[in-house]
Amino acid sequence: MKCLLIASESAEVLFNWTDPEFQQKIQEQYGASQEEGQRLPAFEDSISTLFAPIIISCITMVDRLGDSYASFTTENNHIYVLHQFDECLYIAVNGDGEEGEDDLRRKIYVMKKMIEVLFGMVTLSSNLLRRELRPQDTEQRARLWKHLQSLLETYSHIRENDQSFLVEAVERLIHPTLCEQCIEFLERRLVQQLNSSIERAGEEVMHAFILVHTKLLAFYSSRNASTLVTSDLLTLIIMAQNMYPSCIDLDDPSPEVGDAKRKAPVPGFFNLGVGTPRGVPFKCSSPVFEFVDPDIQMAEDSLQTLEVPPPDPSTPRRVFLEVSLKEGLYPMMPHSMYCLPLWPGITLVLLTKIPTSAVAMSVYTYLEAFAKLEKRLREGQEGSAATRGQPTIHDLRSKLDKFIKALGPSDIQEDQASTESKCATAPCWPQYVIADLLNNEFSFRFSLIPWCKNMKTQLCGIYRQCFLIDPGPSDVPRHLSPGLQERAQTLVQEKLMDWKDFLLVKSRRNITMVSYPDFPGLIHFICVDRSTGQMIAPSLNITERNTSELGKGPVAQFIKSKVWSLVNTTRRYLQKGYSTVTLRDGDFYFCYFLWFENETGYKLEAVDLPILPDDSPPIGMLSWDYYRKLRRYYSKNHQGEVVKCYELLTVHLGVIPSEIILQHCRQLASKLWEPSRNPLL
Amino acid sequence: MAELLSPDLRGCTYFFLYDGSKVKEEGDATREGICYFYPEETPMDKQELLCGQLAGVARCVSELSSSSVRVLRLRRNKYAIRRKDDFLWALGSSVDVPTISVCELLDQLIDLFCFYNGSVRQSYQRNSREVLAMRWAQYLSHLQAGSSELHHIFSCLKTIDATNVDPLLLLKAALILQACQRCPLVLVGCILFRGRVVSTQMSPNLTMKVMVHESETYNKAHKPNGPSTSSSSGGTVSSITVFLTMSELQYLQSTPVDKGFKFHSTPHKDTIPKKTRLSRTLSDTPSTDSEPSDAGSTHSSQKVSFSPCLSASDNVFSPDPSENTTDLLHPPMQSQCPLSNGKSSHDAEEDESFYHSFHTNGGGMSQIGDSSGLEENSHLNGACGTVFDFRAAECGNEESHDHKVGEDSRRGSGGSAHGCSGATNSHNESPLVPMTLYLHRVKGLVLVLLVEPHFLSDTASMEEVYHSSLAALNGLEAHLRTIIPGPPGVQVPYVFAHFDCTQSTMTFSHFSLLFY
Repeated sequence: MKCLLIASESAEVLFNWTDPEFQQKIQEQYGASQEEGQRLPAFEDSISTLFAPIIISCITMVDRLGDSYASFTTENNHIYVLHQFDECLYIAVNGDGEEGEDDLRRKIYVMKKMIEVLFGMVTLSSNLLRRELRPQDTEQRARLWKHLQSLLETYSHIRENDQSFLVEAVERLIHPTLCEQCIEFLERRLVQQLNSSIERAGEEVMHAFILVHTKLLAFYSSRNASTLVTSDLLTLIIMAQNMYPSCIDLDDPSPEVGDAKRKAPVPGFFNLGVGTPRGVPFKCSSPVFEFVDPDIQMAEDSLQTLEVPPPDPSTPRRVFLEVSLKEGLYPMMPHSMYCLPLWPGITLVLLTKIPTSAVAMSVYTYLEAFAKLEKRLREGQEGSAATRGQPTIHDLRSKLDKFIKALGPSDIQEDQASTESKCATAPCWPQYVIADLLNNEFSFRFSLIPWCKNMKTQLCGIYRQCFLIDPGPSDVPRHLSPGLQERAQTLVQEKLMDWKDFLLVKSRRNITMVSYPDFPGLIHFICVDRSTGQMIAPSLNITERNTSELGKGPVAQFIKSKVWSLVNTTRRYLQKGYSTVTLRDGDFYFCYFLWFENETGYKLEAVDLPILPDDSPPIGMLSWDYYRKLRRYYSKNHQGEVVKCYELLTVHLGVIPSEIILQHCRQLASKLWEPSRNPLL
Repeated sequence: MAELLSPDLRGCTYFFLYDGSKVKEEGDATREGICYFYPEETPMDKQELLCGQLAGVARCVSELSSSSVRVLRLRRNKYAIRRKDDFLWALGSSVDVPTISVCELLDQLIDLFCFYNGSVRQSYQRNSREVLAMRWAQYLSHLQAGSSELHHIFSCLKTIDATNVDPLLLLKAALILQACQRCPLVLVGCILFRGRVVSTQMSPNLTMKVMVHESETYNKAHKPNGPSTSSSSGGTVSSITVFLTMSELQYLQSTPVDKGFKFHSTPHKDTIPKKTRLSRTLSDTPSTDSEPSDAGSTHSSQKVSFSPCLSASDNVFSPDPSENTTDLLHPPMQSQCPLSNGKSSHDAEEDESFYHSFHTNGGGMSQIGDSSGLEENSHLNGACGTVFDFRAAECGNEESHDHKVGEDSRRGSGGSAHGCSGATNSHNESPLVPMTLYLHRVKGLVLVLLVEPHFLSDTASMEEVYHSSLAALNGLEAHLRTIIPGPPGVQVPYVFAHFDCTQSTMTFSHFSLLFY
């Protein structure tokens, strides 16, 4: 019984996701006497009616008490977690005991992260985001929600099954030679060829990577690209998995057999503009259905009538990623994401910079300037006069004028947007000047704050117009041509043809405990380099068919559940400021260490970690990079030094003496990050 | 005790009782439904806001999950929520306090109210809101006033610092309680000194509840406001009506140790031997209950029974010459000290349970020696119930600083654990049974007995209990007063704290001197 809901301040449901049980319960409560055709709106109505009092109460509490709800627990252990981002209230519910409060909070933050990647700076304006998340057109809304819902389901599925998403770090295939070859191939052949083609329509490939299931085989960034942050990369992996799900549960050497049975379901089921690309030689539609269990399928069927033909599959996804340049950090810069399936389970992902991305940078600069201005005005109200900002205001004004002027003629498509914004901004300027003159008048300041907000909304509107709205058919090509995409795909396919089967098996048993004979008594470990966001862990095979060292099904399943709960425990302690946890549980002995190193691998002294409040964002890298904050916190005392942060988690047999365990941990840590074992990106 | 009245209640930020039945229609003001709100000086609109919003959300979530809400967490506060019929209680505290403590505190608070006032609905029909508001405030401040942070978090009983007290005094207190139990109308008792537990036969839950009234009367600042307060024999003795849940009552009336014997010996004894078997008070109670006329005759015969006991008691205490307090203790002890010898003269032949106790007694004496022998001894007379086991456990625990904890105390723990679960399980559903609390005050010392309601009308029993305990109480008070230098005002830094979850007590070891 799970549910996730996003609501606006006016108690309007902006998005909802429910599992079949929850949906059934809601429908039972409402008698469920709706006609077939009206099932969807009826369910949406009933869910919004049921949650409306909570949403309204939450908003009342914020308004009048300045405090808002964080969570509810009922006697039958249903958990409700609430979190408000700007004007959007997220509510996550669990009623089957599978998720705790922390899990739900994490889910909320991950959902927010995915929305940010999909909508970019539009999320900064609640007003616009509301319209974006809840389009007037019901068909469009159903399509969007279905996309978000399947993203969320994909995430939940991966998180429950994949160690890399458990600890929120990228897992690489450990095969140094092949990895190196692939990187070289991506660099010399693929990216170079793509970027020199005339068919690229002004786009420039910045990053290219090959995924085998959720694991990274090779990653290449072009020289002028900024690094792709881990949280973005993890989100992109979720998106790629959502488009071309791999059969994680199915450890099947001959996928055709299993797939034949699953092939039956509705075509175009996951096609939300990202489905099986049409022009692709390899028709890999089958694995798409791997996730769909019959219950979900039934619920989804209700949407079928609304399904419209998907947009051109060669159209890339627009994603908004963080970019750090010399000039500074720019979050949510527009990119195009091309997800090209090579074989089931193996995907090539290309990230391109779009030609107009400079506009996004300007928009961000202005947004920041207005946010600062607004802050100054607010502070001014409190008496700490801040007239120092004056030159900046003039500066800002002239720059913005120029920007808007430049925007108009340069791009025909933006015509409408810029005129719109000009109309809106023009009458504001005189007020601006007056305020400048009467800087000390509180009343003016006060009236300027909503105006600032309005300006920010306008900027977000321009941004939306530029990067989010599909300009519709036009003669000018706007992205890599289908032919070019196809060529890239074939190129990589040719390259990896001989390795294909090996890779699929390798991704299942990346490394195994057999490779670590020097550590008797060690059952499992996870090691994470938080500075690069990478992790190494022996694979946990929990299916019946594959026998790993951990034995078959139940035993491995048991160890898996132990590892999952241990990670949760360590995070709780980390939140309370503990960097070391040792724990004896039954026949097992768990250890967890977090430590810092400098660039040369010299272990730095431990410090007291900050203690986070209960409702702080969940510790991890996907939604909010805790470790980046941690490294920054640490390097305050280590100026000029590159601080690296590592985590090691081990599971030993309980009979092993603790001195040996500690010795193991030390040896393991030094062994794992030897350059020869794990080539860096 | 200033700490009891301190407005700075640890952790608790808000508490309210909201009656949803008063606010049904659109036009009804939220304030109609607010039965009590703490802190009382909170502006009415804020009260209305909190009550309205929290009650509304709790209701809504309950509907969604078809189960009532337990905890509402806000960013800066958390609320434990309880619902019963139309009533909704919410206890707010800061987020640092563990959720489980807040929930427990609220449960205790509601239990306390029901213990002294009966059902909430009825008490609000009978009394004005102002009167009941005072009580809520009193219970709230009582519960909040743990003597330390740890006391508060574990919501444990405040006990006298057993490390400073001669174990013999504790034993003496236990014996007083047992003596009182000879009267079949007396269920259990406890002895408190300056708002702290000296000895108790009750479960921690019940002791906690009983202590509220005592500390209230001990606090001269508070006027006694129990509606049924009636002072009978002089100013020092008083009584009030209290309400027990069925499970609590069953627990008090059930005597696990005894049951076994009863079962396979003679389940249907005629009443005549019972009248003379004064030591087995607990097991007797159900039958006397059902036959009030018979009960009367039991009491009258009881008086007679005391005197042989008196004479016999000397034997046990005299072989304890090492204690220099013994002489002082002696006179009060004599009056009621229940002894194996004394008892055996009465009913050795007819009672198999006695045989059992005699047996254990002998063993204990020979094996462990004096102090543990006394413990065993008390076992005999304590009418072999779990209730008694409790007290034994306490004795054992308190003595453990000096002596090793006997087998007895371990047994006692088991019994009390049973009682706890029984008492908390069904406090919601079970109907409340009125009982009477009898209090006998000697300055700072108070003897609290939970008695059958008709105990008050039974002058003979009352006088007997009064007179038999009076001297002993005086003696005990005199000793405790000299030993205990009042409640510790200053917090000494401690390095070791032990929480006994069975008795719900906290023991601190102050090793601060070691550092100098």
